[in-house]
Amino acid sequence: MGNRQEIRELCQRFAAHDRQALSRLLTLASRGEQLEEIRHLVGAARAAPLDGQRGSPSRRVVAITGSPGVGKSTLVGRLIEVLRHQGSSVAVLACDPQSPLTGGALLGDRFRMPSRPEDPQVFIRSLATPGGRGAIPEHIDLMVALLQAFGFAWVILETVGAGQGETAVRHVADVVVLLVQPEAGDDIQWEKAGLFEVADLIVVHKADLPGADKVEAQIRTLVNLPGCREVPVLRVSSHQKEGLEELVKQIEILASQSRTSASSAKARLRDLLRERFVQAFEQLGGQAEELVRGWEEGRLSDEEVFAEVIERMASSSPSAN
Amino acid sequence: MYLVATTVPPSGESEIMDKPPVRIVLAKIGLDGHDRGIKVVARGLRDAGFHVIYAGLWQTPESVVRTVADEDADWLGLSILSGAHMTLVPRVLHLLRQAGLEHVGVIVGGIIPESDVPKLLELGVARVFGPGTPIPEIVEFLRGRTPAPSAS
Repeated sequence: MGNRQEIRELCQRFAAHDRQALSRLLTLASRGEQLEEIRHLVGAARAAPLDGQRGSPSRRVVAITGSPGVGKSTLVGRLIEVLRHQGSSVAVLACDPQSPLTGGALLGDRFRMPSRPEDPQVFIRSLATPGGRGAIPEHIDLMVALLQAFGFAWVILETVGAGQGETAVRHVADVVVLLVQPEAGDDIQWEKAGLFEVADLIVVHKADLPGADKVEAQIRTLVNLPGCREVPVLRVSSHQKEGLEELVKQIEILASQSRTSASSAKARLRDLLRERFVQAFEQLGGQAEELVRGWEEGRLSDEEVFAEVIERMASSSPSAN
Repeated sequence: MYLVATTVPPSGESEIMDKPPVRIVLAKIGLDGHDRGIKVVARGLRDAGFHVIYAGLWQTPESVVRTVADEDADWLGLSILSGAHMTLVPRVLHLLRQAGLEHVGVIVGGIIPESDVPKLLELGVARVFGPGTPIPEIVEFLRGRTPAPSAS
């Protein structure tokens, strides 16, 4: 898979709303293949929506994060049911860890989610995630864009579940939901830096279990200190199906707050520009080495190097034909 | 579990990193609660560098085919110990073809009477692995036949 004819054909099938083309393009994006063509495809879909649903402003990208075993997959499964009941389409990118030794992965999120083979408005993809920064796979932004361009109103990202320090999701998601559960440690555990700072919403999951009150109280004390931004705390029980509608409502509210989405859009655009710039530089091949030498020896100024790369960026965008 | 991990020969790391990982969906279809074997296979394939999408128990042929499509899998592994393989497997193969997924290879494991094996192969199953199959045998088979062959 690498030839131009094939990727063109895939893009055409995608534009004709072929679900398997979407599936294949997600694989290519996850492997970092044909990135330019795919970017161009989602860019075009954004600029010229093919049907009413596409590009609609009510799109949501929600990240669900929290420690392993806290109930992320189960909650995502419940959210799928609630959202479908409300008539929204939903796609899920479910991440699980990939072994740094063998490259293998056991992706076991989807079996906790409802299987709705008859329902075209639900799409679930499992993703292996190498360790390292952020616990979300590379190019996930592009995969989200593909799903949105295909028409999914909600995209839910389920993170690996590293728990602490999982901050990279912030750039991709409009709303970050952090799950905690009863009996998960004392209150100093919550004081550690990292995840709590990026959470927009904290869910005390498994709220039917004893100890939920205590955890909720601890977290409320923590997030409502003077001078902190206010973070809603909700109790949800996937087991009892309680608090799910309220959770969806809160996510809607947070996602619609323009401050959040404007700043995250800016962050996303910034990331995109950075990535494209570096990519253009790398695509210069032998010319890049010349630039490096010239720059190192002082023959070329910073600006002259930038100009070369920018020129490359402009010429490398795939033409529309 | 320990045995599984040690019986899979470690592969050269370069090979793993160079090639895109092979994606395989493992599922049990029908009313069959015996999931010990499929979990051992899942673990063994994971340790051999595969990306294993574990779809779990009580799947229908329809839901399995949907999973294969959405996961863009190269292989589908079905574990059946209920005796319903001659009903369920043909249905899965039919649905795969109907969905345009004939490029996905299908392997079957579990309790399959020997007399049924040729019938399943003729229907388009790539291979049937019985009880006691060493994991490396499955690994070698999948590695040797990927990118997935036509199932028909």
